[in-house]
Order: sequence, then C-alpha cells, then structure tokens
Amino acid sequence: MPTGLAPSPAQPALEPWQDPSATPYLRIERVTKRFGEIYAVDDVSLEIFRGEFFSLIGGSGCGKSTLLRILAGLEHPTAGRIEIDGVDVTHVPAYARPVNMMFQSYALFPHMSVEQNVEFGLKQDRLPRAERRARVDEMLDLLKIAALRKRRPDQLSGGQRQRVALARSLAKHPKLLLLDEPLGALDKRLRENTRFELVNLQERLGITFLTVTHDQEEAMTMSTRIAVMDAGRIMQVDTPTALYEFPMNRLVAEFIGSVNLFEGKVAGREGDQLLIRTRWGWPLRMRGFQPLVIGTPVTVAVRPEKLRLCQPADPVASNRLSGQVEDIAYLGDVSIYRLRIAPDLLVEMTLTNVQPRTEQILTWGQEVTVQWSPDSGVVLTE
Amino acid sequence: MKRRRWPLLTVLVFGYAFLYVPIGLLILYSFNESRLVTVWAGFSTKWYGELLRNQQLLEAAWLSIRIAAVNATLAVVLGTLAASALTRYRRFRGRTGFELLLTAPLVMPDVIIGLSLLLLFVALQETLGWPASRGFTTISIAHMTFSMAYVAVVVRARLTQLDPALEEAALDLGARPLVVMLRITLPLIAPALLAGWLLAFTLSLDDLVIASFVTGPGATTLPMVVYASVRMGVSPQINALATLIVAIVTLSVIIAGLALRPRRRA
Repeated sequence: MPTGLAPSPAQPALEPWQDPSATPYLRIERVTKRFGEIYAVDDVSLEIFRGEFFSLIGGSGCGKSTLLRILAGLEHPTAGRIEIDGVDVTHVPAYARPVNMMFQSYALFPHMSVEQNVEFGLKQDRLPRAERRARVDEMLDLLKIAALRKRRPDQLSGGQRQRVALARSLAKHPKLLLLDEPLGALDKRLRENTRFELVNLQERLGITFLTVTHDQEEAMTMSTRIAVMDAGRIMQVDTPTALYEFPMNRLVAEFIGSVNLFEGKVAGREGDQLLIRTRWGWPLRMRGFQPLVIGTPVTVAVRPEKLRLCQPADPVASNRLSGQVEDIAYLGDVSIYRLRIAPDLLVEMTLTNVQPRTEQILTWGQEVTVQWSPDSGVVLTE
Repeated sequence: MKRRRWPLLTVLVFGYAFLYVPIGLLILYSFNESRLVTVWAGFSTKWYGELLRNQQLLEAAWLSIRIAAVNATLAVVLGTLAASALTRYRRFRGRTGFELLLTAPLVMPDVIIGLSLLLLFVALQETLGWPASRGFTTISIAHMTFSMAYVAVVVRARLTQLDPALEEAALDLGARPLVVMLRITLPLIAPALLAGWLLAFTLSLDDLVIASFVTGPGATTLPMVVYASVRMGVSPQINALATLIVAIVTLSVIIAGLALRPRRRA
C-alpha cells in the first residue's frame, strides 16, 4: 500500500492489487508441483500484498493444500520460484522460513501443555526466557485462553484447540500465516463466530493471512481476495464481490453460490448489449463487451436473487421467462423457488420475505413470469 | 430356547487349564519340601536358598541378563530406524524387499538362524580374525538379528498412528530435524520403544536354540544351564529359577502393556 500519500478526491484509493506500482509481499512465480505423472500444482503464479486476507478455494484435490505446503516449505516445488518480502525462499527449509502454518488437524503436541505448545517456536529462536514468557502471555490473552495454559491438548474442546493452534502459529509473529481449513473442524455456530474473530485478529496484527478452504461462504466473508483453483490451476483471482458478480467461466460461477446457466449462441450486438439465442429458442439480451463473432457458443449466468417477478403483460421487460413453481424452500429470511421453464430447464429464484406472512407469495404449480435486467448477469465463453 | 452356557465355559476352562496348569504346577513344586519333583512333602523355600548359592546358575543368569540388555538396546535402535524408514518413506527402491527381509526373522526357524549365523561367525573368524572367540558378542549379535524385527513391528504400529502433521508443525515452528526427533518424535513413541525393549529383552533371555549354536566355550547362558541340568534329572532348584523367570517376564509384559495402552481422553 502506498504510504504517506493521502488519496486525492479525484483519484480514489487504489487497493494494492489494482496499483501497478505496488510491490507484492508474497510472489509465487510459475510454481509447479508434480507427483509422478500428476500435476498437483500446475504453473501457478500469484501476487499477494502485505496485510491481505487471501483465500485459496477449490474442491478436494484441486492443489490448494499442496500450494500451501509448498509455501510452508513442507513440499518442494518441481519448478518455479517463491519470494517473501523481497527474499527468495524457494530453497529455504521449512524451519528457516518467516512463515508459520496452522494445520487442519491443529497438530498440537500432545505431550506438552498449552503454554509449552505456544512457547515451542519461541524456544527454537532462542529468545531469552523473560521475552518468551511475555510473548506467550500476550498470545494467550489475545486468544482468551490464558485460563487453559496448564492443560494438555486432550483436555481441550475443539474450539479451544483451534485457539491454541492459532496462538502457537502467531507467537513468532510470522510474515505470512498459512491456515489450512482453519474452521473446518468446528461446528457450524462456532464457525460463524470464529470467522469474524479471525478477521478482527488479522486486522489487529496486520499479519498477511493465506487460508485454504473448500467452503466458499467462509472465503467470501473473510477474504480481501480469493483465488479459485481447479486441477492444479488458478481459474480466477478477484475480490469476493467481483468473483460473485463477474465470474470468468462456468466453473467459477458454479463454485461460488448458486447460478442459473443458459446455453446459447451469439445472435448479434446492440451497443454494449449482446443478443443471445438460447438453445430453447427464446432470446436473451445481456450486457457484454467481449468482441464475439455471431454464432459463438456462450453461456449466460444469472444469480437467483437477480430474478424479479413481473406481470405477463409488462411491455418493457427483456429477458422474460414463464413457468410453473415446482419447488419452494423457505429459509426464513429468503425463499428459494425453482421454476419449470422447459422440460429440461429449471430456473432458481430467490425472493426476500419482506412481509411477515405465514403464507408463501407463490404456491406450487402457480404460473409465474420472471425477468432480469441485461446488467444483472454475465456472458461466459468457457 | 434356553441358552446353555456350560459348553462354552467348559471349553474356556479347558483352554486355560491347558495353557496354565503346567506353569502353575511348576511354581507350586518350587515350594516343595521334597527333592522329588513329583511328590508333595510340604511347603518350603529352601530351593530358592540353594539356587542363590549355586554359583554356576547365578553366573549363567548374569550373562543372560547382560546379553539380553545389550541385545534389547541395540535392537531398539536398529528396529526403530527400520520402522521409521518404512513409515516415513512410502516409496523407495526395494521397499517391498526391505519389508519382507525385515520381518522374515519372525517366521524363520531358530535352527536356521542359529546355524547360518554360526557359519558366518566361523567364516569371519577365519578371514578377519573377528570375533576372536564366540560367546557374549556373538550371542548378542545373533539375538539382535531377530529381536530387531519384533521391535520394528511394535514401533511401526506406533509411528503409523502418529499424525505426520506433528513433525511438520515442529519443523514449521523452526525446529531443525534433529530437534524435531528429540523433542517431538521420541517422546511420542517412547511407550513403543519401552515395549520393544522389554520384548527384545525377554526374547533374548529365554532363547536356547540360537544361543547354543553361536556360543563358545565358557559362555553358558541360563537356558543352556537349565536344559543341561534337566537332562541329568530335574532339581527343584530349576523350578525355583523358572518361577523367578516367569515373574520377571510377567512383570515386563504388564509394564509393556501399560506403556502401550492408549491414553485416556478427557
């Protein structure tokens, strides 16, 4: 982040990843990791900035954990280069890297008490005893586990273990903290509370966090930016908003949240709008700047909450579909409706339950017409 | 239908009787007043007293214990190394062969181990001049070859249960590999090391066959003395000695069992 310069009103503050002059704190350059014939990580390049809360997400086996382990120094990349704070650490062993990791299993040492666990890393640095004690106290207070200091890991609950693991990995004030599924082993309620706590902690300490998760909701709520991985490659790197609103391909669109996908071909262009003829025959009109030749196969992706109910006679509306309500899922705050548009096409729509009512706005089998604006979706070519 | 329990109970009683009545009788007759092993003449501990005055038996016992201790210690070192190679490195050239060869002594007949080692020691003595004579050293080496396999099995079971992330976490926190081994791995597998040590100790203590092959003049282990004296007629002293050995072995097995017992979870 540029320091000392107040952003002028004409020029809004740039996030570091938008600023071409910003220096990345962690630079991953064309890293590949091969196990035999399998490419676990395939030519991945990433730039992460100081103080970011960055998430790697993807299904199991997508290479996200391997990438994390490469950064920790627990795996050696087949090819590529890793730089942290301007220092090449590609060949630095795990014990000498300014990086710490919180393991998915927490990996607390079962034969040591909570405070011995937290102190372990500090001892390796040969810090004087007084300083070690002070640092341990600081960490135990920070994570509110001072009362547990004499306990052993098998005398702790899952949530408490998670805190001890976090305290242990933060104790050395690493330049980069790697978190492998940090909330994966907690139950749902605890997980939601811990999310906010983790973000607050990260902002307070200013340490760069890099987490790996398969939970897109978790990544969305915590991260400054997210990288979506599949089959060892990075599909897209963006802010949670951009990733959700402007996915670059079907895979990303489907991985983050729910989405309605309409396959079709480009039929023409009007200004900044593309006309698309879907494979069901009816046309769609979407905003799209890509220079696409007529006839190019594309997919229109529209999120369920972008759909609105409208009157069948409404003359202005483009992107209008009619069908019957087939399923209703009442979630309290919102309801999800699935509409049968064609024999092979179900469209999902989310409506907020604004009025306190005991009856649904729509009922099963009801004939409805829905519509969305050309701005509320994206045209995907992949 | 009413379930009848007595057939099962009978089988159980006969099973236990088959296993433990001989040992029970042996212990009982070690406290026999009479010199005849088959006639009960009243309670006495005089055979224990005589046993303690029998210089030949005591020397043999001391030799056996020394051999057992040296064997157990070296077997733990080698067996642990072998077990960690097998758990740590999932794939290396000759892994299957290594695994097979390591565990082969578990099923190899003692006679074959003894004979082959004897031939080896004789050949070594003729070519290198070492070992100069057979006895303490050769028996220890011979015992190590098979007890190492037992230790490897016990330690390997423990290593497999160990979360590999523990060692990685220690590395990640800045501990060098040697420190990781001393501060994390060894304390965590210590129960298995103790169990392996005791197992190797008892295996060595009661071996007769292999020791007879590789020993030389002057080095007579306890089982050899017992075997020889039984052939000349059983003395109740041997019963007393056997009772002591049973006590030691039972104690070792109990300690090993306690050490390997899974930790209580809170």
